Amino acid sequence: MNLLSGQRAFVVQRLSALVLLAFVAAGAARLAFGSPVTLAQWQAWAAQPFAAAALLVLSAALFAHAWVGVRDVLLDYVRPFALRLSLLAAAAAGLLLLAAWTALVLVSHAL
Amino acid sequence: MGRARPVFLNLLQIRFPVGAIASIGHRISGVLLVLMLPFAVLALDRSLRGEASFAIAGWMRLPAALLAWAAAHHLFAGIRHLLTDVGIGASLPAARASAYAALLAAGAVGLLFLVS
Repeated sequence: MNLLSGQRAFVVQRLSALVLLAFVAAGAARLAFGSPVTLAQWQAWAAQPFAAAALLVLSAALFAHAWVGVRDVLLDYVRPFALRLSLLAAAAAGLLLLAAWTALVLVSHAL
Repeated sequence: MGRARPVFLNLLQIRFPVGAIASIGHRISGVLLVLMLPFAVLALDRSLRGEASFAIAGWMRLPAALLAWAAAHHLFAGIRHLLTDVGIGASLPAARASAYAALLAAGAVGLLFLVS
């Protein structure tokens, strides 16, 4: 398997999809079968180190998945090379910024 | 690249098979979800700072339902794609049935958000 070809994007997309699916299933099960979650409970839970780590894994999977999707859409529909490159760079920068912001929010809350 | 081929790309007249509709819906919902990411991170930040308000204002109802549809459709159609990857439901009748199921289930989630 050549992970440096488009196959890498394919593999990242599928693996991150599975991680996201696991989190969605766990979250849905908690909301459906557990007691209602209060804001204070959510904040206390997210402050625990293991929870913050899990949420960091979730956000990494989310932003990796978003990147592959945006990349696919831009590669499919934007043909002029300069425009394609600018949009890809803008999307990458935007997603990286959002990912960094998310990590900052999660880590600063847990510390 | 010489010969001119007949091109017919009037999207309003081409009749799409249900699998194509589920598939393009997966892409459209994915783009919507990506566009909502800044707001999702903002909501996360607010909720952890304790300024969160979970009330949905009246004008937010339609965008919220649209977002719920996008998340549901992306989830259901995504599961369908993952299963197809490993050969489950890859036959034409099964693929058509699961495409209908994903479209209907996601539509139901969107409607639920609209009326509740």
